[in-house]
Amino acid sequence: MDLHSITKVSFSQVVGLAEAVDEAGGQADVARIAAEVEMDLDRIGPIVAASEFLGLVVVEGGTLRLTELSHKVLKAGLRERKKMLREILKDLPAFRYLIQMVEGAGRPVSRKEVVDTFALHFGTYQADDLFRALVYWGRYSELIAYDSRSELLSLRVPGVRLPSAH
Amino acid sequence: MCIVGPSGSGKSTLLRIIMGLDKPTSGAVRFEGEPLLPDNPQVAMVFQSFALFPWLTVEQNVELGLEARHDPPEVRHAKALKFIEAVGLSGFENAYPRELSGGMKQRVGLARALAIEPLLLCMDEPFSSLDALTAQSLRDEILLLWSDPNLPPRAVLMVTHSIEEAVYLADRVIVLSPRPGTIVAELEIDLPRPRNRKEPEFFGWVDEIYALIV
Repeated sequence: MDLHSITKVSFSQVVGLAEAVDEAGGQADVARIAAEVEMDLDRIGPIVAASEFLGLVVVEGGTLRLTELSHKVLKAGLRERKKMLREILKDLPAFRYLIQMVEGAGRPVSRKEVVDTFALHFGTYQADDLFRALVYWGRYSELIAYDSRSELLSLRVPGVRLPSAH
Repeated sequence: MCIVGPSGSGKSTLLRIIMGLDKPTSGAVRFEGEPLLPDNPQVAMVFQSFALFPWLTVEQNVELGLEARHDPPEVRHAKALKFIEAVGLSGFENAYPRELSGGMKQRVGLARALAIEPLLLCMDEPFSSLDALTAQSLRDEILLLWSDPNLPPRAVLMVTHSIEEAVYLADRVIVLSPRPGTIVAELEIDLPRPRNRKEPEFFGWVDEIYALIV
C-alpha cells in the first residue's frame, strides 16, 4: 500500500531531514545524518523512506540526495508547502480511493466505514494505521477534514476555514 | 534574543520573573518603562512541555489564552483560526492533542501564545522535547514567522541550553555563568541569514560562547 512509508512519520521530520541534507551541501550519507541527529536506523529509516516516497530525496547506496522538489519545498512558506504536499498526495491511490468514497456517498463517511473497507484488503491492524495516516496527512494538506468527536471524515476545500469546534 | 547558560544558572527563573510568574529576590523588572505587573497581558509564553489541555481541541486550546481578555466568542474564534493558520496547523482545528506529533503540539503552544498578540514572546526551551529533525524544521518555520511583519510579537526572548540553537536563531545572545548565574557576555550575532551550521563562521560563534561558559 503506497501510504505505508508515511504512516509512522510527520511532515516536520521529512522537512527536517531535507534541511539536514541541504546544510550538508545537498548530498550526505544516511549514516552521517543519523549520527548528527542522534537517531538510530529504526528511527531515521522510516523518515528516509517517507522522504523518498514523497519525492524529496533520492537514495543511492546509502547516500541521500535532494531533488528539485525538495529545494522548492525548503524555499517555500508554510502555505506553499501545504499546496505542494497536496499536489503529491491527491494522486496517491489511497487518497484517490478515499476521495471517491466520500464523493460516491454524497455525505461525510464514518471512521468505521473507511477502516472496515481497508480491513478487507489489508487486515484490521494495518487498516487502523492507514486510517490514522490518511487523517494526519489529509488534514495537514487540507485534502480532507476529520472531526475527532463525531469520527466523520469529509472532503475539504483548501483555504476554506472549518466551522467552529464549539 | 537567546539566553544560554548551564543548568542551574537561572535561565528559566529569569524567564519566569520576566513573565511575572516569580518575584525577584532583589531588583525589579521594567516593561516598556513601567514596573512589571503580574500576568502581564503583553507578554506570552511557550513552554517546553507544550502545556496543552488534552480534553480540548486545537482550536479550543488556542482560544483558552484569549478568554481572560473578555473578547466576544466570535472574535476569539477568528483570532484562534488566524494564528492556527499562521503556524501551519490549518486542517487540525478539530484535532485533539493526542492526535498530534510533538512538533504540532508545540505549534499549538505557539499559536496560543501569538493569539494574545503579545509585544514580547518568551520561549522556555521550546524545542528540547522534540526529536532533532522535527526541532530543526520547527526552528526554520519559527524564523519564517518572526520575519513576517504582520504577526506579533515585537521581540522574542528564548531560553535554551543549546549554544548551536542560540547562534542559529538569535540576533543577540546573553551568556549566563554557572551558579550563581551572572551575565558574562552579551553578543551580537551578525551572521547573515539563512545561517548554515556547517560554516566555519558559525562554529566560530559556537566556540566563543562555549569558551565563556566552560
